[in-house]
Amino acid sequence: MMTQTDRLHFLISYMQQEKNIEQSVPDSFNERFEVFRGLANERPAVKISREFLDVQDAFLSEYNAGNVTEFESLKPVKKQLYIWQGDITALRIEAIVNAANTEMLGCLIPNHNCIDNIIHTKAGAELRLECAELIKKQGRKEAVGRAKITSAYNLPADYVIHTVGPVVQGERVSQMKQDLLAKCYKSCLELAGQNEIKAIVFCSISTGVFGYPKEKAAETAVNTVQEYLEETGSEIRVVFNVFSKEDLKIYEDLLT
Amino acid sequence: MKKVANYLWVEKNGEEYTLIMTPELQDDIGTVGFVEFTKAEEVAKNDSLLELEASKTVLDLASPLAGKIVAVNEKATDEPTLLNSAKADESWVVKLTGVDEAEFNALADA
Repeated sequence: MMTQTDRLHFLISYMQQEKNIEQSVPDSFNERFEVFRGLANERPAVKISREFLDVQDAFLSEYNAGNVTEFESLKPVKKQLYIWQGDITALRIEAIVNAANTEMLGCLIPNHNCIDNIIHTKAGAELRLECAELIKKQGRKEAVGRAKITSAYNLPADYVIHTVGPVVQGERVSQMKQDLLAKCYKSCLELAGQNEIKAIVFCSISTGVFGYPKEKAAETAVNTVQEYLEETGSEIRVVFNVFSKEDLKIYEDLLT
Repeated sequence: MKKVANYLWVEKNGEEYTLIMTPELQDDIGTVGFVEFTKAEEVAKNDSLLELEASKTVLDLASPLAGKIVAVNEKATDEPTLLNSAKADESWVVKLTGVDEAEFNALADA
């Protein structure tokens, strides 16, 4: 049986061959993982062999199993509402929300530290292929404020719901951008409802490279979700995922 | 009479209501590069009027009013930057009839 480090060697060599490049593969697991991630991030949405996918799926399922948090172990801060600090790709829950961009193919920048990148990396190459199908069918880029659902492949979650948030430059948030951010949350919840999803985790949409001021974004997130739950009577349970301590405090101040 | 809703101006001329891009909307989206109008002949409130791709965003523009679409700015399909124009006769989006006047009156004044 192949070890995880062997699997990385196979995956790296495969993707290097696809690109017609020859580079020595580093020895250590961590270095190999970084090379694998970079190549996977850059890989366009083109067909890939069953053999690659089998090795990749074996690798990622083992890799992702290492650090899973069960949604059912979380305690709500309010009825149906949760705050959880951690890596969104490590939560076992029905649906995770990805902050996508308008191309909706996943981050193409090698090893970029954004949520879209890490979700696609850990889900596997299948996710980009499914997104590409959806975008092809749609025939144009994904508009801000909508939502699309795909399988989550190798992640512990069942589904990924992709939404494109507004981009903000500077501190001023126009009414339209605030409305669009609210629309992101609403669209994701509606799509989750249509798919009978009972638990969903949101990342802080638009607050990363999209530049939306964090406190304003959190206010809109919390208000929109609470309004949706009140208006629809939906029983969906909603997790606000935060990464840093600073973000945690913003959500705690709003919800507790 | 002119109102504003969903970042669009709504200009009433008799029975016809023209929806026009506002400067705030133009500023938020940047230079328009692609537009595709709805093929629907009638829209409900918040139905999509057009999808546009601009330098700063990709947007689904929703109708602030229900009504029958009697004209769309076809020229903008070939020349999307018309929607960036300061002139209303270039940056209009659609013209509606059959609009409930009470709904129009309820919109914010421009």
